[in-house]
Amino acid sequence: MTTTVFYDRFERHAQGQGIKGHSTHYCPGCGHGLAHKYLAEAIDELGIQDRVVAVSPVGCSVFLYYYMDVGNTQAAHGRAPVVAIGHKTANPDSIVISYQGDGDLASIGLAEIVSTAQLGIPISVIFINNAVYGMTGGQMAPTTLMGMKTATSPAGRTPLMGQPLRMAEMIAGLQGPVYVERVALYDAKQRTRAKRAIRKALECQVENKGFSFVEVLAECPTHLRLDPVATEKWVAEQMTQIFPLGLMKDVTKDASFPALPRPSFSEERLLEVVGASMEEVSRFATSFPSHLAKGDVALKLAGAGGDGAQTAAMLITNAAINEGFDSTHIPSYGPESRGGTSYADVHVAEREVLSPAAPNPHLLVAFNAPSLAKFGPAVQPGGVVVYDSSTIHSVPELPAGVTAHGVPFTQIAADLGRTLVKNVVALGALQEATQLFPKETFLYAIRNALKEKCAMIPLNEEAFAWGARAVRGN
Amino acid sequence: MSQPQMSERPKPFVFPEYCKGCGRCISVCAKNCISFGTEINPQTGLIPIVLDLEACNGCGLCITACPEPYGLQPQLPEVDYELIDPATLFGPRQSAATPAETTPDELIDLPATAPLVIKGNYAAAIGALLAGCRHVYGYPITPSTEGAEFMAKYLPQLDGVFLQAVSEVATVNIMYGCGGAGLPCLTFTSSPGFSLMLEGISYMIGSEVPGVFLDIMRGGPGLGNIAPEQSDIKLACRGLGHGNTHAIVLAPSTPQEMLDLTMLAFQLTFKYRNPVVILGDGYLGQMTGRVTLPNKMIRPGLPDWAVWGDAGHRRNLICSIYLSEPELEEHNKRLIAKYAAMSASEQRADLFHCADADTLIVACTTPAQMAKGAVQQLRQKGVKVGLFRPVTLWPFPIQHLLPLLKRVERIVVVEASDGQLEDELRLALSNAGIFKPPLIENIRHYGGVLPGQTEIVNRILATQEVAS
Ligand code: SF4
Ligand code: SF4
Ligand code: SF4
Repeated sequence: MTTTVFYDRFERHAQGQGIKGHSTHYCPGCGHGLAHKYLAEAIDELGIQDRVVAVSPVGCSVFLYYYMDVGNTQAAHGRAPVVAIGHKTANPDSIVISYQGDGDLASIGLAEIVSTAQLGIPISVIFINNAVYGMTGGQMAPTTLMGMKTATSPAGRTPLMGQPLRMAEMIAGLQGPVYVERVALYDAKQRTRAKRAIRKALECQVENKGFSFVEVLAECPTHLRLDPVATEKWVAEQMTQIFPLGLMKDVTKDASFPALPRPSFSEERLLEVVGASMEEVSRFATSFPSHLAKGDVALKLAGAGGDGAQTAAMLITNAAINEGFDSTHIPSYGPESRGGTSYADVHVAEREVLSPAAPNPHLLVAFNAPSLAKFGPAVQPGGVVVYDSSTIHSVPELPAGVTAHGVPFTQIAADLGRTLVKNVVALGALQEATQLFPKETFLYAIRNALKEKCAMIPLNEEAFAWGARAVRGN
Repeated sequence: MSQPQMSERPKPFVFPEYCKGCGRCISVCAKNCISFGTEINPQTGLIPIVLDLEACNGCGLCITACPEPYGLQPQLPEVDYELIDPATLFGPRQSAATPAETTPDELIDLPATAPLVIKGNYAAAIGALLAGCRHVYGYPITPSTEGAEFMAKYLPQLDGVFLQAVSEVATVNIMYGCGGAGLPCLTFTSSPGFSLMLEGISYMIGSEVPGVFLDIMRGGPGLGNIAPEQSDIKLACRGLGHGNTHAIVLAPSTPQEMLDLTMLAFQLTFKYRNPVVILGDGYLGQMTGRVTLPNKMIRPGLPDWAVWGDAGHRRNLICSIYLSEPELEEHNKRLIAKYAAMSASEQRADLFHCADADTLIVACTTPAQMAKGAVQQLRQKGVKVGLFRPVTLWPFPIQHLLPLLKRVERIVVVEASDGQLEDELRLALSNAGIFKPPLIENIRHYGGVLPGQTEIVNRILATQEVAS
């Protein structure tokens, strides 16, 4: 009957001074004390004291950690179940208990308890329902009975204040939990059942069966303004009418929760996962393309959603970085990205890209007329424009000294049997028209990008070659 | 063969001090051994019960009915309870466990690898993995979702945990649990989500729980939009929930820094047992760039203070409650001393052409990159301008700014918010006793519009003309 799971002295209760060292802060006859006791005894019987992490709630039982000689953590109001998730996922060997009252669990923490229950993760929830807010001084709880007078339902709870919430039934209705029971403390028989239920809830976790939930109808004599024995009677006669006792759900027999992962720290695995390669990179460029701009070339690639402007931009960025330059790519941002135009700003810098935006690019690749109309006039004097002459039939006036190359990206791609590769046609054209990098630089980047889809490489190489050829033919 | 006699079952005993007189034991005794007392106990002011055990059969029902841990106890035959001081009765428990010591982090060498070409959000995610973080919790919110998606895809391959929580409120509290268990954990979020996490961050600071928050800031207020704004500087620097709170706030401006500063964030969050906030913006999160991996990764240890769930850590408590005013004041003083230590040792700034600058641009995250471009352009025109880029927004790197003030005639704060960065600058200057700072001007944009390089150049040139 005695248990070592209570601290030998409640040091955290007023430094364990005087009576407080061995006496709880609960009012005489409060049901919390009994629930604590049965919890402590169950922990003791199962031999799990060292593994337990108890999460204290906000409410009268906020000071659970004064008493239980286990790992303790104190949660924000209503959040105990998710704090418990944090502990359980951090250490799957820990036995995590979320101890909560009715305001905590059934009001402010509804989202947390419902989602955690449905997650089904093996934690044990002990839910103390005493039909009233204790800590804040006897206000209405979500579990307050109809007609019951509280500080915030002075004339009794009416339908305007909502109906009492049956948590055990609600939780039992979910697929996640393996064990849900409602018990009480008002007589010897109920106490035996309560003790058994609390122990079973812990067993569900020890045996990794899953989420368990025990609702305990408890006495709050103080706010019922009854003596403790009359409160027991009130729970037996009034509360159980609305909150019937008994087993709500038990699928523990064959239940088994999937093993929670235990992290690995292998460096090979990590490098593989993040896609880091130890292979030597091949370089083809002998110098930075200073003929296009000194130190930093700005490009813009613009088209409609499916034109592949972003992929082409990514290929340029990859190619540049392979060559040892710095490069950035920013996709279009804002509502445009949800349809309509898609454009990419790219920089290739000899040493470091400073501003990554390219409002006035040196090079523009335009896949459709609106893109050329919008960005063509912003190209820097002396810049180069490569555009899809399959879709763009009239070229707007471009700044002085800007060279424009019309290449039928779409037509060429269609002739090759895949309009999808029109962006690679465009890259071929860009390479030929600007000599941004040697041909091999682009092809190397394209092959790398298609590592997983080798079969696509010849088609893309061909597309690239046709794009280049089209510029030469012009 | 002697069966134990029924009468050998222990009878109940209670110290009057530990009986609250609730009477729950009375109704349960079929032998009527227990009755309400009549005398008030002078120590408790309550009236304990009276036991008359003549008829007691030791059924124990009264003991099970007593809500007090040290209330009714089974009376062991060999102990004469009446002679014992109750405060010493229950003696120290034999806890076999020696308190756990901190297991230090382990550094693992990494071979040289080719630079990665990745988005800022992915770079931050990889930084977290390299720092030993295998626990990521979150609620999807644009423009930070790539981070969560990356983790959802790759953490299982590293036997890590990615869990999508029911809300940001749940997320921060799961982090409270995981961080309280002593493990590195992270979330990706964006402004509206960050607002929801602030309460939980206050609890983490109060309970000294580590955790890293990556906030990819977006346009507000309200739902605003998903374009880049520097909208949460005030929250991260001045508004981390209720109470006297502070956390180190890091502001990367390139994908490489997204990785480097995320790694640093984990180091700092454990060093100070305090959350760390990383502020990015949507532009930076989406930006692809060159990212070089470091030559070490970390296998995290386990701190001695963790509530881990084993014998060695059993004595630990994660909690922000200090009921007595002097105790809470002491706790606050300790936290404030910690903030002062962070302030003294963790100020970081990046200085670009600052040494001879008479005009200083102050900017962070993506606008700082625009400003950097502008500085280079202006330098080519012979304008003596520099960029002062705070890498820590809190603590503001005033130590690095003060030496520059001798030369600087004007400061132009370039930002995508209504002066949230400028407020930090002004506060830092004033706290440093600079009451007559150089002229402070600003370029501000809102709602996802970022200050542009040309705009900055033109403004500074106009200012120069006015000045000359
Ligand atoms: S107010 Fe009610 S629930 Fe709270 S300690 Fe007192 S009796 Fe228990
Ligand atoms: S042990 Fe049984 S008989 Fe004895 S006092 Fe307690 S309830 Fe009564
Ligand atoms: S149940 Fe415990 S606290 Fe209540 S009257 Fe009996 S001995 Fe005292």
